[in-house]
Amino acid sequence: MPAVIQARDLCKKFGSQTALDHVNFTVQPGRIVGLIGPNGAGKTTALRAVLGLTSYDGTLEVLGREPFRERAALMSEASFIADVAVLPSWLSVDHAIEFVGGVHPRFRPDRARALLAKADIAGHRLMRELSKGMKTMAHLALTMAIDARLLVLDEPTLGLDILARRGFYDALVNEYMDDTRSILITTHQVEEVEGLLTDVLFIDQGRIVLDCSMKDIAARYAAIAVTDDKLAAARAEQPFHERPMLGKRILYFERPNFERLAAFGDVSTPTVADLFVAKLSRGASA
Amino acid sequence: MNTYVWLVKREFWENRAIWIIPAAIAGLLTLGCLFGTVEATFFDTPEGIGSMAGMMFLVFGALFFAAMSLYSYWYLLDCLYTDRRDRSILFWKSLPISDTATVLSKLFVGLVAIPIVYFAAADAASLLAAFVLSVRAHSLPANALWQPAVWLQLQALWLYVIVTTAIWYLPITGWLLVISAWAKRAVMLWSVLPPLAVILGEQLFLGTHVGLRLIDDRLFGYASRAFNYSMQGPLWADGMPGAPSFPGNPSFGLPAAWHILDPAGFLSSPATWIGALTGIALIAAAIQLRMRRGDQ
Repeated sequence: MPAVIQARDLCKKFGSQTALDHVNFTVQPGRIVGLIGPNGAGKTTALRAVLGLTSYDGTLEVLGREPFRERAALMSEASFIADVAVLPSWLSVDHAIEFVGGVHPRFRPDRARALLAKADIAGHRLMRELSKGMKTMAHLALTMAIDARLLVLDEPTLGLDILARRGFYDALVNEYMDDTRSILITTHQVEEVEGLLTDVLFIDQGRIVLDCSMKDIAARYAAIAVTDDKLAAARAEQPFHERPMLGKRILYFERPNFERLAAFGDVSTPTVADLFVAKLSRGASA
Repeated sequence: MNTYVWLVKREFWENRAIWIIPAAIAGLLTLGCLFGTVEATFFDTPEGIGSMAGMMFLVFGALFFAAMSLYSYWYLLDCLYTDRRDRSILFWKSLPISDTATVLSKLFVGLVAIPIVYFAAADAASLLAAFVLSVRAHSLPANALWQPAVWLQLQALWLYVIVTTAIWYLPITGWLLVISAWAKRAVMLWSVLPPLAVILGEQLFLGTHVGLRLIDDRLFGYASRAFNYSMQGPLWADGMPGAPSFPGNPSFGLPAAWHILDPAGFLSSPATWIGALTGIALIAAAIQLRMRRGDQ
């Protein structure tokens, strides 16, 4: 199957500021890719380029289309949720279903209604009358009722409480995802999506600094908690980052010799969040 | 159903004022006719009745037209701005609807749908008022103010005005859409400040008034282009003070619509087409701006 997203030398500048600096990445069908980076790293710009919301330089193909020129056509096969607060406040739930059903060839109103009923959201209510969590569920119901091949989520759970966030991701994985679809997601709540992701992309200052499948992370990276007496020997293995933890130091390694590392303590696979901090703490050995 | 039909429907869902305002005006006028004092002096002669009917229809029409102009101005300025302000633009852009379709649907609502709603409200209100007033002036048969000739002429006048104003004011419409698609805030201010700046700057630095004349002509030059008599006074009933006289005018107070409409003159005026082309260019610019407004 051809790639869902293929970006080559993707660049975007806002005035003198470079938001995307020759970004390359590929998203294959059936993958859930987390695009992770600090504020201002270029995450949102990258997503907007993928969705045809912004112009760019370089080549970008999404579902075989050029997003900026063909946004309308692209949106019949891709869908996105920008964040919780974007459903128009004056729109009623019923009208939203009616409208999306009217303009979207792949929208299934009965499915949307079933999802809304499950979330106890009545059709006659206006979006402004719904709580933040309900609004998100309403938006998710509308989006999941679309047979899209690509779903893009930009901080989808911002401002939600933990129950709503969990509900959101459960619905996403159980009701939506299958192996013909792909999801591209950005979030600051890395721990929350870690279990879902099949791949991670780290972006920093407009560049991709890590492009790796979750499987490969275990093969490529190691973390190890080292006591002071073994610290010098462990450091000889050239960790790329370290931080103190309860009297020990945690050292992070890329492509280490796992056998030698085992001599210094328990070798573990770093979490995505730890890896993110390790990768992006520039030149820091805290 | 077609995407455009849904987009127009959507505008009516969002902007309920499109029909609430004209309905409210019609309601108030009807109440006024029900409970106001009827000056019966015009009812003495058949000419007087005709004048009364014509004048009433015209005053009603003018009132609705003024309200419509204000509302359309506001609507066009707001239509590509509110969804950017509340960020719901991202929801609309997640649907397979091109920015061209979005902008054109709003243009259609501003230039066609809103005028038709006001037209219908003006019609309903004047017919109701004619009926109410006739009934209240006991001395007359109930249909005294029902003057089909006057009424039909008014229909022609309305339709003509809807079409010609849409063309004549296209550059202003386009300008408002550009501001609506572009401005980050204060759309009203942005709609008037640049033209004012051009007028003032031109006067200060060049001592000329080309911009002022162009804008003045566009705003107030419509009537002299679309009608073939000079608007010395208001379009008024025959025999009223200040009314121009029309040779061969029928007995009804309203000058026969086909005597004053000047479609040939309107369509052959270069200003009409220069304006229309400017308007189309501005609308195209608004579409381009809209395409680039997903990254705010």
